[in-house]
Amino acid sequence: MTTALRFALRELRAGLSGFRILIACLALGVAAIAAVGTVRSGIENGLNREGAIMLGGDAEAEFTYRRADADERAWLDVQSVALSEVIDFRSMLVVQKGDQKERGLTQIKAIDTAYPLFGQLRLQTGADIATALAAHDGRPSVVVETVLAEQLGVSIGDVVILGTKEFTLSDVITYIPDSAGDGFGLGPRTIVYAADLDGSGLLGEGTLFSTKYRMVLPQGSDLAAFADTAKAQFEGAGVRWRDATNAAPGVERFVDRLGSFLILVGLAGLATGGIGVSAAVRSYLERKVSVIATLRSLGAENAVIFQTYFIQIGVLSILGIAIGLALGIGVPLMAEPLIAASLPFPINLSVYPQPVFEAVIYGALTAAIFTLWPLSRAENIKAATLFRNMVDAGPMMPRWPYIVAIVVLIAVLLGMAVWFTGSVRLTLWTAVGIFGALGILFFTAMLVRWGARALIQMSRGRPRLRWALSAMGGQNEGAASVILAIGLGLSVLAAMGQIDGNLRRAIAQDLPGVAPAYFFIDIQKSQMPAFRTMLQTNPQVTKFDEAPMLRGIVSKINDVPALEVAPDHWVIRGDRGLTYASKLPPRYDVVQGEWWPETYDGPPLISFAKDEALEIGLAIGDRITVNILGREITGTISNFRDVDFSTAGIGFVMTFNEAALSKAPHTFIATVYSDPASEAQLLRDIADAFPNITAIRIRDAIERVSNVMGSIASAVAYGAGATLLTGFLVLVGSAASSQHNRAFEAAVLKTLGATRSQILTSFAARSAMMGAAAGSVAIVVGIIGGWAINHYVMEADFAVIWSNAVAVVFGGIVANLLANIGFALKALNAAPAQILRTRE
Amino acid sequence: MLSLQGNAGKVDIIRNISLEIHAGESVGLIGPSGSGKSSLLMLMGGLERATGGSLTIAGHDIRALNEDALARFRRQNMGIVFQSFHLIPTMTALENVATPLELAGERNAFDMARAALDQVGLSHRMKHYPSQMSGGEQQRVALARAVVARPKILLADEPTGNLDGTNGAAIMDLLFSLQEEYGATLVLVTHDPTLAECCDRSVRLVDGRVQDGNTQ
Repeated sequence: MTTALRFALRELRAGLSGFRILIACLALGVAAIAAVGTVRSGIENGLNREGAIMLGGDAEAEFTYRRADADERAWLDVQSVALSEVIDFRSMLVVQKGDQKERGLTQIKAIDTAYPLFGQLRLQTGADIATALAAHDGRPSVVVETVLAEQLGVSIGDVVILGTKEFTLSDVITYIPDSAGDGFGLGPRTIVYAADLDGSGLLGEGTLFSTKYRMVLPQGSDLAAFADTAKAQFEGAGVRWRDATNAAPGVERFVDRLGSFLILVGLAGLATGGIGVSAAVRSYLERKVSVIATLRSLGAENAVIFQTYFIQIGVLSILGIAIGLALGIGVPLMAEPLIAASLPFPINLSVYPQPVFEAVIYGALTAAIFTLWPLSRAENIKAATLFRNMVDAGPMMPRWPYIVAIVVLIAVLLGMAVWFTGSVRLTLWTAVGIFGALGILFFTAMLVRWGARALIQMSRGRPRLRWALSAMGGQNEGAASVILAIGLGLSVLAAMGQIDGNLRRAIAQDLPGVAPAYFFIDIQKSQMPAFRTMLQTNPQVTKFDEAPMLRGIVSKINDVPALEVAPDHWVIRGDRGLTYASKLPPRYDVVQGEWWPETYDGPPLISFAKDEALEIGLAIGDRITVNILGREITGTISNFRDVDFSTAGIGFVMTFNEAALSKAPHTFIATVYSDPASEAQLLRDIADAFPNITAIRIRDAIERVSNVMGSIASAVAYGAGATLLTGFLVLVGSAASSQHNRAFEAAVLKTLGATRSQILTSFAARSAMMGAAAGSVAIVVGIIGGWAINHYVMEADFAVIWSNAVAVVFGGIVANLLANIGFALKALNAAPAQILRTRE
Repeated sequence: MLSLQGNAGKVDIIRNISLEIHAGESVGLIGPSGSGKSSLLMLMGGLERATGGSLTIAGHDIRALNEDALARFRRQNMGIVFQSFHLIPTMTALENVATPLELAGERNAFDMARAALDQVGLSHRMKHYPSQMSGGEQQRVALARAVVARPKILLADEPTGNLDGTNGAAIMDLLFSLQEEYGATLVLVTHDPTLAECCDRSVRLVDGRVQDGNTQ
């Protein structure tokens, strides 16, 4: 090994020439992974560090649909140093403008004087919250977020209405310390004292609200132990418990999933870079044939030769990985102010060991996997090469020890990816995607080579085409490395393009076409007859649907805690909407089991959404316990229904028989369909008649969801961009390595009388043909990949976005042309004599 | 026998040659281009594998050795000089000469390499890279590299082919004097009949066969 090390170091004295692409490919892949990992760790650290501020307390007990009763409140009081109660619900903020009323959906935070326990609420005027919410102009006060004030065109001092009560807008909110912990809201916030809502008609019986009790615990409290005590205390009361170590679980989960997904996109980029690494090693060894042959003639064994070049590639890979780490960690650190400003939650960027480890492991394993194959071919270089200008290509496949080593390294890489991402399914599907794409691309390259050879006969009389076809069918052009390099990058881009396009299509086209104009919530039971009559007699309403609505938490399945049965399922996490019905609503179809008789009055029965039931593993006859307003109701599943959640219409996972729930306090929800032109008038009519009812405009809600999806799409696009850049670098590397062959070919053709334009056309033709071949494969792979992710991960309909697909083929042609023409021009301008003499 | 498989089919390079070379002897292999001189030399050096017949060198049937065993056999028994020198461009003259000794695990590799370079008159060029030396100097380095491990057999493939007359003559003088000094067996491939005459005997090859010369 020491001999090989000495030889390797001597060889490295020649500098990095020929290795820039290898280093750049590894650096780019490692940088992308390190950057995603660093930002993800920064967010996780920020969330943990500022957990108490985001949560609004050391710990929080959330009661759905109700406030704590006297005993519960007393227990919370005893446990805490300070306690604050915050009621959270949706409503409409109304402004009278002349004889018209403007309305905006708002998420109301009804607080007490203890709020906020941690952090500081910032207001435009610099006043504190107590001053701002004191009575102004003889009216109680509210403060609203800037966006809501702008939307309604109100300024400080104006009169606004909540429910049926007037308030003074005393200030505008610029920062809410616990906003990230509040989760996803459909409207901007309004903050008001809960006590001031008396007489507003809001928070009536059955209103959809939640009450959060935030606590400051004694210094040094063990949060985990306290959580256990609290959960035992509130057992069966339908209370959700959170503490500062887990302040924003939604954000954390989202960041974790998106981070994992992006790292897998980064791995696809690294695999693309791996093609470049492989090509660079192959091209380097081609240049080293005489050195290797000389070493053999001097008595060097296979092991010494392999080690000599393995060490060299290893040193250069370490350099590439180090540059990647510096970029991947350095760039986010430098851009911290920019990143922090664009995120709605805290971020604490630093050098974290996990992303560094992750990026290094991925980089090192990729380098090893992609260099072993070409390095193994050094064995085929015989000393006889020194005498005879003929390189025996040797067998295509490496010897079995190398194949075993490559397979083991791939297995280790996959194992690490599973460990890092925590998802076997996602990792394995990504691996299947990458290897499948590589396989198809390799097969295509072989097909292109074979096709070119077959077509040569037909191209007689067209010398430019024949030269191009000869080159593509020959061994030196590297059709395989070009098609693999550009194809894998384009495939990732095409898949991302299809996913992004389908997301946007679903949001922009599908939903508004079938979705209702408004969702109305908090309709009191007593208001329903009048509400119904009003909609039935309104000519602008094309259709409406209604359902009673309660909220509850699935606490047990067959008497086992639900969180143990299906901890990750969305139906189990948090509280869910529930309804009851005597007759099967026309929007559903029962697909298994029987609907109950209209007058059924026996033990509670449940109709469950089929897909969700299958995901959780439920069967007809299973017992579900739901906690509603602190009371546990256990029902038996009597049937499964088909529920389409994608139409934004009414869709409940669980429907009880009427007698089971109709006596519990509840409200109604309704969806109203109308043509877009009359939406505004419809809202005015309903809001004037029923001031306590909250209207959610579906178009606004879709826009908010669309914005979140847009940011995901942008993050994915950056990942795909890095992959494409790597692909282009690989192309440049491939073009550079075939430059000598091109120059020789051009020199010979020139001596035979070919003009430069003829040669250039021939070079361009082969680049365009190979680019088109790679692009075409990328479309197929991209469409399959896009469909798979859409179908299995997003569970959405899929349609091929052809504009995107065509752009990918075009991109492939242009990229390959650009990479090759640059080098071809250099070859064309060189004097033939000089090139021919060098070759001799 | 040596046959090579090319794209256009199988080609017989060496046929029906029976040749015996004694220890310490010098033999010149001559013949026109393509006659098989270099191929025969490659077979002797174990750089090419015979496709038929037998080949015994220093008592070893080298057809029975695998690639690594051949490599070890070469570094223990042979020094090879090439027409195109084949120095490793990233190594200095000293490092090039020391390479076979390093491969053999020799501790004093660099001292011995210095002595060898001194012997070929290049003590002032030890730290120079091949690209910084003339063709004659490069071939002298190659000679030093070939003899540094005191091999029993020296194989030289047209060692003066890329050199002018004066440099070529100097190299041949050096080659013969080193062979004599170490008592090595020398097999020299050349186009030049006068060079071949300097050997103890010469063998003429044509079309892969011995045309004339003493083969015993």
